[in-house]
Amino acid sequence: MSGVGSGKRIAGGWMLLGGLLVAAVLVSLTVGQIMITPAELLRGLMTGSGPGSLTLRVLRGPSTLTAIGAGAVLGASGTIFQILLRNPLAAPDVMGFMSGAGCAVVAGVAFGLLIPLPILAAIGGLVAAVLVAGLAFHRGSRQSPLTLILVGIGIGFFASAVSSFLVIRMPPQEAADAQRWLTGSLTARNWGHVLQVFGLGALLFVVLALQVRAMALLELGDELAAGLGARVERARYGLICTGVLLAAVGVAVAGPVPFVAMMAGPLGMRIAGVKHPASRLTAAAVAGATITVLAEVISRSAIPGLQLPVGVMTGIMGAPYLLWLLWKEVEAGEV
Amino acid sequence: MTETGLTTTSLTLGYRERVVIRELSIAVPDQRVTSILGPNGCGKSTFLKALARLIAPASGQVRLSGDDIGKIDTRALARRLSILPQSPKAPDGITVSNLVRRGRTPWRGLLAPWSEEDARICRQALEQVGLSELAERPIDELSGGQRQRAWIALVLAQNTPYLLLDEPTTWLDLTHQLEVLSLLQERNRAHGTTVVAVLHDLNLAVRFSDHLILFGAAGLVAQGAPEEVITPDNLQAAFGLKALVMADPLTGRPMVVPH
Amino acid sequence: MKAAIGLALLFFVAIALTLVVGVRDAGIADIWNAFFAFDANDPTHAVIRSVRVPRLVAGLVAGAGLGMAGTVMQAVTRNPLADPGLLGVNAGAAFAVVVGALLTGYSDSGMMAALAFPGAAIASIAVFLVGGARSGAGSPIRLTLAGVAINALLLSLVSAIILSRNETLEIFRFWVTGSLAQANTRPIEAMFVALVLGAAIAAVIAPRIEALALGSSLARGLGTKPGAVQLSALLAIMLMTGAAVAVAGPIAFVGLVVPPLARRIGRHVLRRELAVSAVLGGAMILLADTAGRLVVAPVEIRVGIMTALVGAPVFIFVVRRMKPGALT
Repeated sequence: MSGVGSGKRIAGGWMLLGGLLVAAVLVSLTVGQIMITPAELLRGLMTGSGPGSLTLRVLRGPSTLTAIGAGAVLGASGTIFQILLRNPLAAPDVMGFMSGAGCAVVAGVAFGLLIPLPILAAIGGLVAAVLVAGLAFHRGSRQSPLTLILVGIGIGFFASAVSSFLVIRMPPQEAADAQRWLTGSLTARNWGHVLQVFGLGALLFVVLALQVRAMALLELGDELAAGLGARVERARYGLICTGVLLAAVGVAVAGPVPFVAMMAGPLGMRIAGVKHPASRLTAAAVAGATITVLAEVISRSAIPGLQLPVGVMTGIMGAPYLLWLLWKEVEAGEV
Repeated sequence: MTETGLTTTSLTLGYRERVVIRELSIAVPDQRVTSILGPNGCGKSTFLKALARLIAPASGQVRLSGDDIGKIDTRALARRLSILPQSPKAPDGITVSNLVRRGRTPWRGLLAPWSEEDARICRQALEQVGLSELAERPIDELSGGQRQRAWIALVLAQNTPYLLLDEPTTWLDLTHQLEVLSLLQERNRAHGTTVVAVLHDLNLAVRFSDHLILFGAAGLVAQGAPEEVITPDNLQAAFGLKALVMADPLTGRPMVVPH
Repeated sequence: MKAAIGLALLFFVAIALTLVVGVRDAGIADIWNAFFAFDANDPTHAVIRSVRVPRLVAGLVAGAGLGMAGTVMQAVTRNPLADPGLLGVNAGAAFAVVVGALLTGYSDSGMMAALAFPGAAIASIAVFLVGGARSGAGSPIRLTLAGVAINALLLSLVSAIILSRNETLEIFRFWVTGSLAQANTRPIEAMFVALVLGAAIAAVIAPRIEALALGSSLARGLGTKPGAVQLSALLAIMLMTGAAVAVAGPIAFVGLVVPPLARRIGRHVLRRELAVSAVLGGAMILLADTAGRLVVAPVEIRVGIMTALVGAPVFIFVVRRMKPGALT
């Protein structure tokens, strides 16, 4: 009986989660300096002409789709680390991987390297991850998740400082753009960005799907996982790589947007009411997409005539969540 | 008649709904070593904390020479009574002498610099606990017994006529327990300091105390000289322990031998 | 003694470099003359007096303020990762000033700067409450994360406000990372007074903070009132951080790098540590600022970026040195 009940509840949760995303996308496409009605959008979609079509093809469609893609990869990436380290604070944004990716991209631009952004971002993210793991290493003892997170925060500080340093050397206009991008920005995205984030994202989601079973085993603890036939270290490194690469794909199209990766997992899990890694990852991807789309539309329509970087908005949304998380811990600790 | 010493009048202590000490009126004998004994959770630490005003009574009073300690100025009280809490933590990397000098806090004026008097009292305290040689060593490098002696030197430097200690021998091995307790006894004999300590080990408490306060789960069981307090009946009442009490072959004081 | 000479030397080198280095090279003689034989027609003299001296004083106020504030924070929280920049106190001050500018339309710059103090105070209270510092034994990770969150929130808000007003990139950068470049436009004299006041409070309560560092039970046994000490410490932190931010923007990491060195040199005596922190903090900001003007000259790297480049590795070093058990 209870199984059926919880099954129903989960189905309801998925519908709610999906509904929120659809609603966010609709708002994002209709709201802005020029309001477009859903009917006009539909007409534009069908006929390929009129204001609805222009909005979809040029004005808002690419940005919204990029937001969906970036949010989804970041959400999934955050959840991978949260599951591996069993800590809601473990996420590529908190732990400096995204700042590392951002720093590499800025370096590439500053030095005029002709390397595609996703590859630069991937290199930066992986270097940051290796540094975090290496610097958190204490001889004789396993790294505690907390040391890893704190060292990650330190790496993030350093990468951001290097990025700011590099930005200053650029010509003024480029510097202003880079500064904006470093906050996390979805302004003026085009179909190239959409193609990039969905193409690379889909590829990594396939890889991730192949790793989900090992992840479910790792969740049980290393000994048990090994007992059940998982190659623990290999599985872990594989997942870390996938997680960093997912984050890098997000950074390449949207800059190091803070807090999406951290928030998406717990939010998705709560709304959908799911526990298994595969479901958690899916829920996190949907939740991440929703958050990013919402942040994008708010950031461009909150102040008329002005486009704030989307990262400013996710910061304003995400930081209170982190504070709330810590506050709950304090309350629990005081009992 | 003016009251002297540390006394309680109808003292009731409790955490929220759970009252641990009810309506207790007791006098701690002046210039003696008193040990507070009892099973875990009987409220002996709570009682000691109330004596030092670290917790406020639910009702009743703790009085020092007749004054309600709740009404004495914080700094004035700290010049008359010192407390060493259970397992205190030192800041990382701090040296013994630096720890001990913090015992002078209540004696230093708002702007007063470190005085020669302060320095002399700290030197004496270090000497009394036998750590003069190790004064410039970081606390983290000391052994458990040495570390506890450093903490005791801190409260000795506070230079108060009343010295309260919460389980000062916990986590120490037997030699160091003896060392710490004889240190406190020496201080009592030399300066007439009233020492009150919560202790775990019955036989050690008997050995070093002039006066015992024994709590059971239901409150005070007995108080008085060790010979009066340590009896099979009282032990049964306090700990639910069947034990033989015999004369310690070394001191002639009572000694507990559990069945 | 050796340490004192070393400190003095470092301090004077930092000051001399600040006065000498710049777009217009000035020699020691120029500096001497600018002070003692001022020639209004000599552009070098004018630059020294109107640009470099304010920059120097602003750097000293900011550095001393942040260094001492960091030392007080670390002593009170017993957390080696406490820093007014990382814990969001700087961001609170910056946020309050920017909001003040928004509300008053830049009409009253003195009033705007004064808002830095309540801003710093509210942010510190928030970070201490959320970080659980009140509930006794500090929890470095929680406090640090609370700081990261508050910092992110406030700096996002600062960015939003500044970007919404179409301010220049230069103003944006000042209020997000801090800089000494517009020192001559900041209310240096008033903030110097605030700094001295904060430092005096810190020096007076230093022995009580030392007692508090032994745990609240023992501190009370030693005759201090933990609540009152914490409140006075907060007041000192507020004055010193507020002053620093009002002259130089929210510069991070000075309050992280300076205190461990000050503890070493001051040998855990808080009043000595405070004095050393003031000197080291001032020297660190001046050196960082001078380095920032030299590395990619003629472009100037803001001092806040330079301190972060030095400070972030120190942060990681401190985390590594903490015992794993000390983190929770």
